[in-house]
Amino acid sequence: MVNYLIVLFAITLIYFASAERLIIYIRLIALQGLLLCGIAIFELTEITTANLLFIAAETLLIKTLLVPYLLSGITKRSGVVKVHRQAMPGFYLLIFSIAGLLTSVILAGSMPNPFINTIFLAVALFTLFTGLLMIVTHKLIISHIIGFLIVENAVFLFSLAVGNEMPMLINIGILLDIFVGVLIIGFFGLRLKPHTNELTILKD
Amino acid sequence: MTGLILILITALFFPGIILRTKSIASGRKGPGISQPLKDILVLLRKGSVFSNTTGIIFRIAPAITLSSIICAALVIPFANQKALISFEGDFIFFAYLLALGKFFMIIGALDTGSSFEGMGANREAFFSMLIEPAFFILLATFAMFTGYTSFSDIFRHFFVTGDDYVLIYSIIGCYLLIQIAMIENSRVPVDDPKTHLELTMIHEVMILDNSGFDKAMIHIGSYLKFAIYGSLVFNALVPAGWSIWLHAGLFILVQVLFAVIIGLLESFRARNKMNKNPKFILTVSAIATIAFVVILIMTSKLT
Repeated sequence: MVNYLIVLFAITLIYFASAERLIIYIRLIALQGLLLCGIAIFELTEITTANLLFIAAETLLIKTLLVPYLLSGITKRSGVVKVHRQAMPGFYLLIFSIAGLLTSVILAGSMPNPFINTIFLAVALFTLFTGLLMIVTHKLIISHIIGFLIVENAVFLFSLAVGNEMPMLINIGILLDIFVGVLIIGFFGLRLKPHTNELTILKD
Repeated sequence: MTGLILILITALFFPGIILRTKSIASGRKGPGISQPLKDILVLLRKGSVFSNTTGIIFRIAPAITLSSIICAALVIPFANQKALISFEGDFIFFAYLLALGKFFMIIGALDTGSSFEGMGANREAFFSMLIEPAFFILLATFAMFTGYTSFSDIFRHFFVTGDDYVLIYSIIGCYLLIQIAMIENSRVPVDDPKTHLELTMIHEVMILDNSGFDKAMIHIGSYLKFAIYGSLVFNALVPAGWSIWLHAGLFILVQVLFAVIIGLLESFRARNKMNKNPKFILTVSAIATIAFVVILIMTSKLT
């Protein structure tokens, strides 16, 4: 079951490269949160029930509900619908994305570790690559935030891979989630210039 | 042989089922299932008209296209039976037979000297080039999964590998094959066979100068291609070990469902803007790459 969810997770990453609307990005972030929750429930079989419940509740509340809600609030206020300020056309983004996927697989294959499932490592590296790609190829601040969220999902996914051995690592990942929530509300959500119809400029 | 006969029979009614689904979905009375077949019969009775600017290429292109598609159908297996033509690496032969047909259609379109047809040929070649990696990656994935490189062996051993995740491979394979079939046959969302403006056409604009018997051959080729892809979907879905009668029934069911899915997709989906098509097609290749990677990792063939 975990493998099915990871495949779906990888497909959402490809969808990021080809999507053009912010609402799709936000839905994908919510979907990734849901998938991570499922992966956590099925993968973390050796940690305590309380810890597992906390992780599942956190991924559902913060990753699937709160962060997408905040992001959609920002996009509604700004009126920006499309990710029209890409530095690079989607066609090339997709090519880079495919190259990133293959590179991740080669990297994951060249680092065999008996404690880590290769598919977790490959998809986590691919997620990291997609997040970084989004940050460097997009100009909208909101795209950068989404890129950062994807990077953070990569960290979370990787921490899930070793969650049974090191449960504390997941809790650190959760702290990163909460940090991102605060970052979005405090820095971007409240400081974006209103009525400029752009998501590239912050208030002084 | 049974597979070939079934492909030929289903190809006869495939476009009719698509049309019927579309007319029901849009609330129209619409034409009957046999209407495309009647249109083909009318075209077959007519002679072809050739422009003075066209040469031998334009005249032979439809026949070569149809014959290459029929030859490609000979490579497709059915149930436990081997295909009529079967050898190691026959899926490459299959892909390039279809590519040969397309190549002749493209140079036939260029032979007319019409700028419209040149534009259509350009688009068709570009989109075919983009979808080719998806098909090869998918077939390479199947070949890697089963350890065989011919269609007959791949599909015969697909469900007997004992892998727990065979269902996920089957579903991804079917999804990709449906998308590839839609793009290869120039259907929505990449192209719309019902469009009336030459500037927005892809496949239809290439065959503007073809008429009568030649046009009938092109249409028959297109219907056969649908049935061939439908039979690939069937092979990826149904285990080869079941009884032949059950297979025959399921084959027809899968083909009808395939046609209904295409009809529904065309009814409820908007056509892409022309400049969005490359990205859309590349996405299909990207998903094929994911399938390849997933199977590579899950079958522990990476290290």
